[in-house]
Amino acid sequence: MIKCVIWDLDNTLLAGTYLESPDQRLCADPDAARALAELAGRGILHAIASRNPPEAAACAATLTGHAFAAARLGWGKKSAAVAGILGELGLSAGEAAFVDDDPLERGEVGRALPEVLVLAPEDLAEAIGWPEFSPPVITPEARRRGDMYASRRVRQEEAAAFGGSADEFLRYCRTEVRIAEATEADLPRLHELSFRTHQFNSVGVPVGAEIFARLAGGPQGPSRVVTVRLSDKFGDDGLVGGCVITVSGGTWHVPLLMMSCRALGRGVIGALLAWIRRAASLADASEVVVTCVITDRNVPLRIALTGAGFRADMAAKITLPDWAQSGEHARVAAYHAAPGQPELPHWVVEVP
Amino acid sequence: MERSATGGAGQGGAVLADLKLMLADITSDDAALTAAPDTPLLRDGLGLDSLGGALLLVRVRAEFGVDVADEDLNLDCLASIGTLAAFVADRMAGRCR
Ligand SMILES: [Mg+2]
Repeated sequence: MIKCVIWDLDNTLLAGTYLESPDQRLCADPDAARALAELAGRGILHAIASRNPPEAAACAATLTGHAFAAARLGWGKKSAAVAGILGELGLSAGEAAFVDDDPLERGEVGRALPEVLVLAPEDLAEAIGWPEFSPPVITPEARRRGDMYASRRVRQEEAAAFGGSADEFLRYCRTEVRIAEATEADLPRLHELSFRTHQFNSVGVPVGAEIFARLAGGPQGPSRVVTVRLSDKFGDDGLVGGCVITVSGGTWHVPLLMMSCRALGRGVIGALLAWIRRAASLADASEVVVTCVITDRNVPLRIALTGAGFRADMAAKITLPDWAQSGEHARVAAYHAAPGQPELPHWVVEVP
Repeated sequence: MERSATGGAGQGGAVLADLKLMLADITSDDAALTAAPDTPLLRDGLGLDSLGGALLLVRVRAEFGVDVADEDLNLDCLASIGTLAAFVADRMAGRCR
């Protein structure tokens, strides 16, 4: 599945060459611009790899009306620019397409990065019909993915220049974390998060929308599904995380906790864990238990759990619900915390 | 990479020095090189976030052959540079005994 298209500019995304066209004459290639808009609507990211001065990226953004997720401009090898973009966006070579009008550039990228799908501009009209360019679920969050990466670039630049603490930066950004019960409209995105998240996912198996629908029993139900949304002055990231809570006896069990990496470093997982402990306390629960399948990939989640005051033991008596079982012989740890009233950061908004 | 364990303080000292190099690399900040052993790794200490902590453990496994995430359920040894170095040196010494 292609997640990002990396574009050459001169005579590919632009009709003409940047350095040889007076500003007022330069325009986007209409066929390329149409393909770009269509693919952006399917949640596919776009980036620029071009032998041009850095200003050419802003010019291409203006001409196409698109905010690019990444841009590498300069006179180095195209394959190095493509590899740099893949690293920056956290993508593998098999998830990228490269479009260039110059057969020598296409050959160089194809030899250095054989897994990248290399295309000439004239291939595009047909290629956008290929299954590689057609994701199975397209949620509003996926459609806006390009904008979110673009706002992430701006946020990271400002964070690097910001003098204060991480907390002060979140405040300066007017960070807002909204915690609410899941509604029917959230179900496709919750399903998508269940298979797209790995580092902050406590079970590591996809969970179907129909399972979330069955578990979403509202605040008073025996089980509930809670959603987390994130936004700040740079942009709206939409639904970035969630959890499932089941109540039995006086214990709040959390069999699923997940968060998108997009929300990393923005206070979200800590806010959610603090909220769970507070809500359990307000409901007079005696204990909160988060079960976590120990995998190679979810170490960040375990660090976040212990950082939020949870302590783990091997869950001898706890069995995962059937929808959370992978079939393999999983090691499951139970992370315990007493309900408490940890202070919620002021940027957390609880939607009743 | 396997290393010949010499045991004792020499081993722990070598682990500590290697850990500091890894930390300086991950945090892009040379402050780690001169940090005291009781400097916390996460948040206010050396400023590692949960992803940085996980990255460090991947490097530790590759370099020393010690799978901290697998052995330390609560990841208590991430408390400071010194606790992590002691944990790693201890497991290496145990393996070569
Ligand atoms: Mg060209």
